[in-house]
Amino acid sequence: MLQKILIANRGEIALRIIRACHELNIAAVAVYSDADRAGLHVLEADEAYRLGPAPAVDSYLRGRLILDIARRCGADAIHPGYGFLSENADFAQACEESGIKFIGPRSSAMRALGTKTNARQVADEAGMPRTPGCVHGLASPEEAADVAQAVGYPVMLKAAAGGGGKGMRAVNRPEDLASAFVAAQSEAERAFGSGEVYLEKLIERPRHIEIQVLADEHGHCVYLGERECSVQRRHQKVIEEAPSPVVSPDLRRRMGEAAVRLALSAGYTNAGTVEFLVDADQNFYFLEMNTRLQVEHPVTELVTGYDLVHLQIRVAQGEPLPFAQDDIHLRGHAIECRIYAEDPENNFMPSPGRIARLLQPGGPGIREDCGIYEGWVVPMDYDPMLSKLIAFAPTRDLAMRRMLRALDEYVVGGIRTNLSLFRRILRDEDFRAARIDTGYLDRLLVEPAAPPSTAHGATTVIAAALFEASRPAVNPANGNGTTAGNGRWKSSTASGWKSAARTEALRGRP
Amino acid sequence: MKLDIEIDGKSHRVDLTQDRETGLWKVQLDGQPVEADAHFIRPGVLSLLLEGRAHRIVLDADLAEPALHLDEHRIAWQADDPRSFQRRRRHAAAHGPVALKASMPGRVVRVLVERGAHVAAHQGVVVIEAMKMQNELKSPKEGRVTDLRVIPGDTVTAGEVLAVIE
Repeated sequence: MLQKILIANRGEIALRIIRACHELNIAAVAVYSDADRAGLHVLEADEAYRLGPAPAVDSYLRGRLILDIARRCGADAIHPGYGFLSENADFAQACEESGIKFIGPRSSAMRALGTKTNARQVADEAGMPRTPGCVHGLASPEEAADVAQAVGYPVMLKAAAGGGGKGMRAVNRPEDLASAFVAAQSEAERAFGSGEVYLEKLIERPRHIEIQVLADEHGHCVYLGERECSVQRRHQKVIEEAPSPVVSPDLRRRMGEAAVRLALSAGYTNAGTVEFLVDADQNFYFLEMNTRLQVEHPVTELVTGYDLVHLQIRVAQGEPLPFAQDDIHLRGHAIECRIYAEDPENNFMPSPGRIARLLQPGGPGIREDCGIYEGWVVPMDYDPMLSKLIAFAPTRDLAMRRMLRALDEYVVGGIRTNLSLFRRILRDEDFRAARIDTGYLDRLLVEPAAPPSTAHGATTVIAAALFEASRPAVNPANGNGTTAGNGRWKSSTASGWKSAARTEALRGRP
Repeated sequence: MKLDIEIDGKSHRVDLTQDRETGLWKVQLDGQPVEADAHFIRPGVLSLLLEGRAHRIVLDADLAEPALHLDEHRIAWQADDPRSFQRRRRHAAAHGPVALKASMPGRVVRVLVERGAHVAAHQGVVVIEAMKMQNELKSPKEGRVTDLRVIPGDTVTAGEVLAVIE
């Protein structure tokens, strides 16, 4: 049995895993960068150790240091969360060699599925459908042209080591292929350190639907239904839901069985996700496998009733899966919104900084996985995700209403967030009718947003005056009007004296 | 206390008096008394009952301009106490030197002009990066760069003065 787990991550996912550890009476060890000393994961952990300065390369990506800390504090396992070291096969292998359990697949399985070209070969061996195209990197524009001719235009060029939309190029006509090939290759080289590019047939207006799989170390593997992740902006998921409104029980079974075949043929263990594109005729094509816990795992937890992090830990302890495929039933509908520190009214500009005010929703059917609190300074060094807000209800319609209600309760002050974007999507007719594909959100955002209502004129004016009247007094000695700190709102009960003193102290510095 | 509140270019006069014993506010909006019951449930979170309607209003903060959240709207305002110095200060700032301030916290990745250079209105001055996104800050007006306070690699906070254009 595992006694102590080190969580090699930060933010909401670190806290999510710490909570699971505590529920299973396992000690949780946090690691943190200088930017995260005041992070919730440090506050809630049983032990916490510093990694280094804020940039990820100096902190959360320092595999050797993290492994050293695990050894020194006596941790018997490392949970990598998502991002950072979670899909780094070298790190997984280093854990294996030092006798510390990596909570995830073995490094060999991670390598077999690690690049998109390798994964396509494994998919072929497992006899699962994939997009037509090649399974090896392309050597030249000429070879690319031959493959494109064979599968037919339009085609998609993709980086084998890719992710996040980098190194991808859609090509509609043969005459554009050579230049797109060179561009994709150099972008892939810059982003991933590998210029390997392959080509596949472009699926028009696809949905992105993924299957959650879970495999133990005794050769059992199950699928836990699908997640619909078609609402994306620049290839980044924005809203996820389970189940998909378009997946029938028969399609779910066929996609699930294909995903399980792929996992078993690669010797996969622990939780993983097989991503598919689904076309308008409900044909599905293998896209890639994510060899880790996904950001959007809560929607699957809500509709299956299983705690995926608990199960990951139990599988890592060598336990057999506690259920068979026939025991898994889906119930209700779950929707997740990824709340980001970015400004949808200003081209999604990042908005790190201090959360001066925070009102969070609650009530029936609402789950929030987050690592933020009032007073927390959102660092500029990492992903801008603040929180995952998840609504669960018996039907999709009720889940949407519940989410809108929760969004109404939610207020973040001090930094900008994309909360307004979710209201817009959840009221959009196409989303409500589930007419979505991976291009849906980009098309919606081209349309101008509805102008803000001015119905609350008097209320707003009176409220503004009341806030002005309660504004903390400003020391007139500071009143030169140019200092940023002068007369600014303080979020807490900190006195005007204190802030005036701080302003003075700052001014005294050379 | 009298305040001029400007929202969306429209200005209103609000007259507030707080009863010292009960803490209740008497409100007049543009000379008309309004039946209002205001209660701060904690700093920055206001419960406002206006003629029977209940509103939750939350102060946004730590931004260059004050703003509030009402229902799903975020509304910015400008306030002048008719008797204060602030009024003169704000109006004076439209002339003379104008500070270019950081719109978001981040790291300076590029400085596009030199001290003393002439810049056009909306010409890029400094590029800031945060959360892997870059933001080019442009000159608010035509003029000369009389002060340049950052170099590449500097960390800046939101609202920090990066340069002064005169």
